[in-house]
Amino acid sequence: MAFKPKVGLISCSGEACSGGNISRAATLEVLHYLRPTETVTICLPLFLAGDEGEREFARSFPTITIDGCSKLCAARGTERYSSTPAMKMNLEEYLGESCTSTDERWRLERSSELVDRIAQDIASHVNRLREEWG
Amino acid sequence: MKKVVIPCSGIGKAFGAVAREATYLLTDSDHSNEYVTICLPLLMTDDVESKQRVTESNVYTVDGCPKRCASILVRHAGGKPVMEIMTPKVLAANKEHKPETVLNIGDGGQLLATDIVNLILNHGDDK
Repeated sequence: MAFKPKVGLISCSGEACSGGNISRAATLEVLHYLRPTETVTICLPLFLAGDEGEREFARSFPTITIDGCSKLCAARGTERYSSTPAMKMNLEEYLGESCTSTDERWRLERSSELVDRIAQDIASHVNRLREEWG
Repeated sequence: MKKVVIPCSGIGKAFGAVAREATYLLTDSDHSNEYVTICLPLLMTDDVESKQRVTESNVYTVDGCPKRCASILVRHAGGKPVMEIMTPKVLAANKEHKPETVLNIGDGGQLLATDIVNLILNHGDDK
């Protein structure tokens, strides 16, 4: 059987943006329920705050970055400090402009359907990247 | 100027979720006129507005593990936190306030988040 790597999921988890909370929730859904044995994660700021071991992450795994807004911090940070992501997801394509809500938790609690849809799409990308590996 | 509270973005551990919860208890509550948060990853990308915010404001960092991402990124951006909180150390002082998981920090995690809020509210932070 051919080796299939785990896929690295890197959420922006932006604290001040609804999209960041949704990116985090969808990523956790995939990590814990949809693809628990096929995925791994790393805290995005560790690329800068950590050492070479952490920076090796995206060079070792095919990665999917999940950004809550078009500032694309996860994609840009991963590319700058580790390696180019295999897939870059921008949740503004699902949400529209998502960082304008003033109450972040309000949006998250009422967006479980949205979180599920995004999580399903991440899981599909995980399948594809593993199939395409090698 | 509002004070800035920045949690660590930790996605792998319950302590990161507690840091985030503590931040929202300040920014989405009766204290919202006094405290605001910014996206930590913006400091990785050298966002000008965020860098200016952390250099000109009283900044509180709340980290979930010894890697201290929030604290390190604030310093990377030229800021100097007035208070650097390590969530596990707060737990050490209130051992019964233990969080459950990253998906659900539970009652213990909520109490720990409240402990962190109280530390920030009680801090004398004149810059």
